[in-house]
Amino acid sequence: MAAPKKIIIDTDPGIDDAMAIFLALRSPEVNVIGLTTIYGNVYTTLATRNALHLLEVAGRTDIPVAEGSHVSYVKATKLRVADFVHGVDGLGNQNFPHPKSKPIEKSAAEYLVEQANLYPGEVTVVALGPLTNIALAIKLDPAFTKKIGQIVLLGGAFAVNGNVNPASEANIFGDPEAADIVFTCGADVLAIGLNVTHQVILKDHDRDILAESDGIFAKYLSKILEFYFSYHREAYSMNGAFLHDPTTVLAAVNPSLMTYTEGVVRVQTTGITRGLTLFFNKQKRFNEETEWCNKPTVKVAVTVDATEVVKLVMERLM
Amino acid sequence: MVSLEFETPFNHLFHLIITESSTRSRGGFRFYRDRISVNRRFIPPELMDSSPVMLPCDGELSEKIIIDTDPGIDDSMAIMMAFQTPKLEILGLTTIFGNVSTKDATRNALLLCEIAGCPSVPVAEGSSEPLKGGEPEIQDFIHGSDGLGNVNLPAPKLKKIEKSASEFLVDKVSQYPGEVSILALGPLTNLALAIKRDSSFVTKVKRVVILGGAFFALGNINPAAEANIYGDPEAADIVFTSGANIDVVGINITTQVKMSDEDLDELKQSKGRHARFLWDSSKFYRDWHVKSDGVYGFFLHDPVSFVALIRPDLFTFKKGVVRVETQGLCVGHTLMNQGLKRWNSDNPWTGYKPLSVAWTVNADKVLDYIKSLLMRP
Repeated sequence: MAAPKKIIIDTDPGIDDAMAIFLALRSPEVNVIGLTTIYGNVYTTLATRNALHLLEVAGRTDIPVAEGSHVSYVKATKLRVADFVHGVDGLGNQNFPHPKSKPIEKSAAEYLVEQANLYPGEVTVVALGPLTNIALAIKLDPAFTKKIGQIVLLGGAFAVNGNVNPASEANIFGDPEAADIVFTCGADVLAIGLNVTHQVILKDHDRDILAESDGIFAKYLSKILEFYFSYHREAYSMNGAFLHDPTTVLAAVNPSLMTYTEGVVRVQTTGITRGLTLFFNKQKRFNEETEWCNKPTVKVAVTVDATEVVKLVMERLM
Repeated sequence: MVSLEFETPFNHLFHLIITESSTRSRGGFRFYRDRISVNRRFIPPELMDSSPVMLPCDGELSEKIIIDTDPGIDDSMAIMMAFQTPKLEILGLTTIFGNVSTKDATRNALLLCEIAGCPSVPVAEGSSEPLKGGEPEIQDFIHGSDGLGNVNLPAPKLKKIEKSASEFLVDKVSQYPGEVSILALGPLTNLALAIKRDSSFVTKVKRVVILGGAFFALGNINPAAEANIYGDPEAADIVFTSGANIDVVGINITTQVKMSDEDLDELKQSKGRHARFLWDSSKFYRDWHVKSDGVYGFFLHDPVSFVALIRPDLFTFKKGVVRVETQGLCVGHTLMNQGLKRWNSDNPWTGYKPLSVAWTVNADKVLDYIKSLLMRP
């Protein structure tokens, strides 16, 4: 077997982020070399605290945590986090104790640049929140786009409605300017959007199985998942929950679980559709040059083997 | 593998079912299209075939329409189809920029009335620029510099009426409240101006069928925008959020219906009353499609929209609020709220009346229907 792929998870934990981090730690195909934090489901300070806490739960305090940006790429302060989805503590209101460990001195962007330089072409960033840190890493070192192995990101809604509003998916909406930079930066980018993650559903029954398991991750997750499931019942009238972040981790672990198409993605940064991701497959010729011309392409997930993804998530977390 | 087109169990969309009644009182035929029901109603077999569903009504006229248009080669086809449909009462044509300038659109509309032998149909000239002002971009590379495929017709003898398009729209809709349907084939400036002129326009108009937008599909001006909406995004957003009874047909639907080179040969050899003129005119349009899309033939955008007006049974629709982006990279993008989730807070789609967005089309039957009208002697 090939050496495990080095991954850095950029994350805003977040209930499904917690699942995704545990899933990555249990996947022999990847080696989690660090976590970087970002606002989104919670504010960045809390994201850092939760990242440290989750690593303590996993007994993996050897993995460094680098704190990311507190504001968006254009320095806007976040006015809203998704506490109605993940609870005010981001982990389903379980009142977990404060972690003992501390983040490293470096910022997330500095850490990303450092690791990309240390292992050129070898590091995969799995981005589970708004893309501010990645855009800042590119700003800090334009060669980052060449040195980073791959950026696998959870973001966007391709030819479907968003989840913040009809136009926009939450991670892209969190920092549209950063997202447009990342999508057009020329790195090897693989985007997993709502059109795919909405197909991957953990059912009530699966959660019951996790609760009955002796696995430390399964037990932990079955508790925090309660809040996440009740949000899904309310917002979507469904008995289950979408596995956005775990699906994205598995795309990095085993790309063959999905199929992809390739084209240019641009992000709308103003107006009522701010945060809209618009994919162009380069199939049609337009009369005039458009904003999608002469931009590097990215890969966008189109289909997913949802049954296999849920099966892998369950197996590895038990 | 699961396909991209998914519908999960939590999808509570109301599928709009258009129910029809075949009551033949006084030879007329009416649509009842306000019903939303979960079960498809029984549709009598005679309405299921491809022959025109409208029964000839012995001179009695039961459907009044106004066509707002920027002719345009495929506009010409739709207009000629309307003239070839016996039961329609065409109250008038209103003109708009788009495929051509508004001035040329007026000239072409007058020419089409002459060619069709309907000199009494009034033509009202519309706005020469979008709501926000500025010179509109003209699509002469698609429709030729005359808008009719460079067929060099002489100037029309007919004259436009004094009234502007928006005045004419308001007057006719007020004269026949609840009876007038509008087929809008270009940018929506005239309709927005009619709404601004008289707010009761939206309740008095029977139905507005709009060719515009690209729903969960690529545009044709750029990846984000379709040409008619891009032509006046502010007007489109006003019309879509006006509360009028609107059906919108996007290019995700119209690009499923193609006139192939074989179909064009058939048209040329037919005894269709306007077949030869339309065949001549459409050559330019056909050649542009080869260049732009690699399509040998052309998309029937405007004719398909006309069919959506008179044969909605050949389509399915979904209801949702549609907003138009008026800023930035994606200006002109049409975005429909599919109603898949309860939002945590209000957003720009909240509080508006949903409209009907064409979702599927029976492409074969629509093409047959278009051809049957164009080939009618």
